[in-house]
Amino acid sequence: MAKKRKIAIYWLGSCGGCDEAIIDLNESLLELASEVDIALWPIAIDAKYASIERLGDRELALSIIHGNVRNSEHEEMAHLLRRKSQVVLAFGTCACFGGTSGLANFLKPNEIQNWVYGEAPTVVNRAKTRPQAETTVGGNHLTLPVLLDQVHSLNQVIAVDYYLPGCPPPVDLIAQAVRAVIEGKLPPRGSFLAPHKALCDSCPRNSAKPPKIELTHIRRIHEVDEDSATCFLARGVICLGPATRDGCGATCLSINTPCSGCFGPVEGVDDSGAKFLSALASLIRAQSDSEVSGILDTIPDPAGCFYRFTQPSSILGRHRK
Amino acid sequence: MTTFEPKIVCFSCNFGWGYLTDPEVREMQIKHWIPVVCSGKIDATHILKAFRSGADGVLILGCVDGDCHFQDGNYQTRKKVQLLQRVLPSFGIDPRRVRIELSLDPEGNSIRKIVEDMGRDLRPMGPLGMKEISAKPVATR
Repeated sequence: MAKKRKIAIYWLGSCGGCDEAIIDLNESLLELASEVDIALWPIAIDAKYASIERLGDRELALSIIHGNVRNSEHEEMAHLLRRKSQVVLAFGTCACFGGTSGLANFLKPNEIQNWVYGEAPTVVNRAKTRPQAETTVGGNHLTLPVLLDQVHSLNQVIAVDYYLPGCPPPVDLIAQAVRAVIEGKLPPRGSFLAPHKALCDSCPRNSAKPPKIELTHIRRIHEVDEDSATCFLARGVICLGPATRDGCGATCLSINTPCSGCFGPVEGVDDSGAKFLSALASLIRAQSDSEVSGILDTIPDPAGCFYRFTQPSSILGRHRK
Repeated sequence: MTTFEPKIVCFSCNFGWGYLTDPEVREMQIKHWIPVVCSGKIDATHILKAFRSGADGVLILGCVDGDCHFQDGNYQTRKKVQLLQRVLPSFGIDPRRVRIELSLDPEGNSIRKIVEDMGRDLRPMGPLGMKEISAKPVATR
């Protein structure tokens, strides 16, 4: 019997939702397990990092890595898996673009720690304790991973072969991607294993979009009546669909929630936040600068809204200190 | 002591600014001058890439309000700039580093002065230094 190829599934700075999405493959997972050996998958099997270190270079046919790179352990594991893998798949939005926790890049690391361990109203920390990377307990010297100065997408740390965005990626795209890797039917390296067009292209509300949208108000979702057919932007609700890659199956839209951009930029675009900003500005109708200003005042946290999932991979990158 | 001279990228509309002057002469006068077919052609991405490439400020010169050769490109870009100015502080960038001026100067003689005026306003802010910011991991310790 031919020796089965080995794969690894690993989490870096991740919430675990990507692992849940892989588990949602259901019976297909059994099929996958019959074709490959899973050498590492912390959420599902008991494998040690040392067993990965013992593998030869490029012995893993595929590493599926989700989560962003936030601390020194993530960085170390990303490099280890890169060295041991023929193909690295950046899986999910955090690995592809940095993800929601990448919004931390709008703050300095000490600002985050001061809030979480001091200033937040629910925190009582009179001793002003802060997490330490090293300590000695009972004569034993213990260490913990060190926080990096910013959140990174995976390709800022190691070379990535393929990308599968989504928060989390949908099951149909995961199955297609894994099948493509196993069968060796892959597009050119660097490709996104997802559609190239914008979400509006497949949005069920697109047909109800007026020929021209002119906004005199920006509204939040709770300020409009429920309507499952009309384009959100036409009603003044910010929907990042025009600047976001298709492939999610419009799941948010189907439950009357506008797109918040988890699939990242469409093919050929570096910075979906900047593209959406330009698109939204062009929809605003006002007679004067002050009128424009009044409309823009109603967008809470524009940077957080436009870069909710993509701050670390944005053109400007982290907050300039 | 060296005086900091801000690098200002100036996008200017061909239909409103300096179209009667030889472009080569204008290039000699203004260091980072990029004539464009319409100020409406400027996308937020162009402005961000200018910062990322080392610009300390970005100046956009468009036609007089209501007098765009292509209907309303200047109006569209002015709105983009207004929205971008609300996003830049989150990245630690002073919104005054982007400026838009809608006027008409076929000879283009005033461009140099507008660039110099903006440079004077930006000088106290110091260099933006985006080019030097690396995306490589650095431990906080």
